Amino acid sequence: MNATSKTYRHSQLGTALGLASVLVLGACASAPPPTASLQAARQAISDADRAEAGRYASAELGEARTKLTSADSAVVEKNMTTAERLANESRAEAELASAKTANVKAGAVNDEMKRGTSTLVEEMQRNSGENR
Amino acid sequence: MSPVNRTIVKVTKTLVATAVASALLSACATAPVQPDGASRARLKLTELQSDPNLATRAPAATKEADAAVRIAEQPEVDKDLAAYRVYMADRKVEIARAQAETRFAEDQRVQLTAEREKARLDSRTREADAAKGQVAAARAEGAEQKVAAEQARGEADAANAAAASSGQQAAELQRQIDALQAKPSDRGLVVTLGDVLFMTGRADLQAGAVGSLSRLVTFLNKYPDRTVAIEGYTDSVGNEYFNQRLSERRADSVKSYLAAQGIGAIRLAASGKGESDPVAPNDSASGRQQNRRVEVIISNPPAAAR
Repeated sequence: MNATSKTYRHSQLGTALGLASVLVLGACASAPPPTASLQAARQAISDADRAEAGRYASAELGEARTKLTSADSAVVEKNMTTAERLANESRAEAELASAKTANVKAGAVNDEMKRGTSTLVEEMQRNSGENR
Repeated sequence: MSPVNRTIVKVTKTLVATAVASALLSACATAPVQPDGASRARLKLTELQSDPNLATRAPAATKEADAAVRIAEQPEVDKDLAAYRVYMADRKVEIARAQAETRFAEDQRVQLTAEREKARLDSRTREADAAKGQVAAARAEGAEQKVAAEQARGEADAANAAAASSGQQAAELQRQIDALQAKPSDRGLVVTLGDVLFMTGRADLQAGAVGSLSRLVTFLNKYPDRTVAIEGYTDSVGNEYFNQRLSERRADSVKSYLAAQGIGAIRLAASGKGESDPVAPNDSASGRQQNRRVEVIISNPPAAAR
């Protein structure tokens, strides 16, 4: 074996080691945190909160907050896939809280209108009773 | 063997081989099954889609729910991923249902408004009829009752006039809108409250704000079927986050004031828009002053919203 082929072998070994270390590192270091999903969840919770979901859909809003906390913990544990899913679940839950709140409010406005009408009808019947 | 025969044999062999291979494969792999819960999400979605009152009322959300349910139904070995997909599908269906129900309730207001108007008209008609009845009775009773009859006739005319006056309500509404200095828009009547309501950087209302807000209270008391969206805006000076929070707190202040004046909180929604959507360039003092504002958007009545 001559010197040239030895050097060549060395460089091959180096390349192999380099590749291996890249693979190992790649397995350890995870993807970046799902910043966009986390931000979207936070925004959805804040929107739901401002729509008074705390009053009309508190279970959903609470669940959204719990999921967001879990997502943040998953980021700390470098479990980015879990973090992303939890963040998306949190956002969906918060959006559900907003949707339910709007639903309750819309129903309440209608109930108020119905009450107004039935008061009118009752008054009318009472008046015509007196006239008889 | 002729070339044709040879080809047939070849094709047959290939077919047999494919059949055997696929039989083996399907014997090995477990039959593809839907993840747990996917069928329940599908059932809820089908219920929503087959409800004539709701099926078409939240098209975007329903479409999104449909896509999520399809994804959830795919067989998936990764249990966590399967559970996540089912969860998302379930919530998307619930969101679509809630939105559809809300829209349905809003659409019903046209009918509710019509019922109320009918009740109002009925009551006036009855009053008029009762007065007419009195006229006839008085006439039958004789001349000494004539004065009373005249009086009853007067009442009947007054009641008829009251019924006719509903046509004047439109004119009255326009007067109220003019008093508010409200501008009609697609979203409803927009009342812009200038920055004189607040001190710089503060969210509590100044004493001078009460005048412009009391006109709003009068209007809302007169038209109880209208809801209100209150939106705070700032100029671009300073930190964006701070401006966002400030605009939210200012909108909340206006909301609290209206609620304290007896406007049902259920009719009021406040939100902050920060520096977004300026109405004037932020490079001059007067432009910035125009951008520091609270917009009150009064919903159009349901009948007019059609």
